[in-house]
Amino acid sequence: MPLWLGAAPFGAIYAVSALGAGLTPAQTLAMSLLVFAGASQFTAAGLFAAGAAPLQIVLTTLVINARHALLAASLAPFVRGARPTTKALLAFQLTDESYAIGIQRFLEGKGSLAYQFGSNISMYLIWQCSTIAGMLLGALIPSPAAYGLDLVFPLTFIGLLVPLLRERVSAVVAALAAGLALAGALLLPGSWYLLLAGIVASAAGALITRNGRR
Amino acid sequence: MTTWLTLFGMALVTYATRVTTMLALRGEVASWLRRWLGFVPVAVFTALVVKPLLTHEGAAGPTLAIGPALPAGIVGALIAWCTGNVLATIVAGMAVFWALRWLRM
Repeated sequence: MPLWLGAAPFGAIYAVSALGAGLTPAQTLAMSLLVFAGASQFTAAGLFAAGAAPLQIVLTTLVINARHALLAASLAPFVRGARPTTKALLAFQLTDESYAIGIQRFLEGKGSLAYQFGSNISMYLIWQCSTIAGMLLGALIPSPAAYGLDLVFPLTFIGLLVPLLRERVSAVVAALAAGLALAGALLLPGSWYLLLAGIVASAAGALITRNGRR
Repeated sequence: MTTWLTLFGMALVTYATRVTTMLALRGEVASWLRRWLGFVPVAVFTALVVKPLLTHEGAAGPTLAIGPALPAGIVGALIAWCTGNVLATIVAGMAVFWALRWLRM
């Protein structure tokens, strides 16, 4: 329940920024329906606004959403008995939030396939509703950039990022990513800076945790 | 049309990340991979913050530039650190940005 409240503003903010980036209402909603992954949708909206190449947008989406493979992997043992088609359906709506709810139940021994489905579907519906709410809101603001509303993008990411920096290795990863992103943004074409920072700085984080503490 | 194809591409790769391990994997994920992917959000979010706050999109490509977006971002970061609330971060940052823009006029 609290996670619904957490996700709802994001869906609306996503929709406002996607419309601002020049996507049609149908495309804005289609992204929520088909991709259904908040962070990557925000990022894609920003990349569309910057006129990034389609390949860059798809690759960036892949990198950002690669963590889903971990969520699915950790759920896999609990749904081992299910039919492949059921698992394929379950995977479609898997997100950080619904995973968190479902796996908690599984770990307590009270989880079930039905509970995970319910958790997935409720997040999915909330996300679509808040996207539509944002589209209605976005229609009231004809040119978001004129009001400096494109700043909402980086501010959103600041809000997501800063609480994560309490952990020391994350702070190091962020500092490295900042340097790489800045150099990449100035020297590399298009949005490759994002992939460079996203892949290299996170790999550095993995290396630090291996060499340092367990 | 290109936009639609891009959207379908995004949907395809995203679904691939979700379904592959769900169907294929039975044991544990390698720990190096888990740690690597675990740091991806921090790295990506940082990159997405740095570029708009420190560069300006000129005719000849992006250049280093400091504008009202930077103090807005710093105030936003302070609010995010204290409250952990994304909406409060956005509101505070936009308030600073608008105030600075208004003062210049």
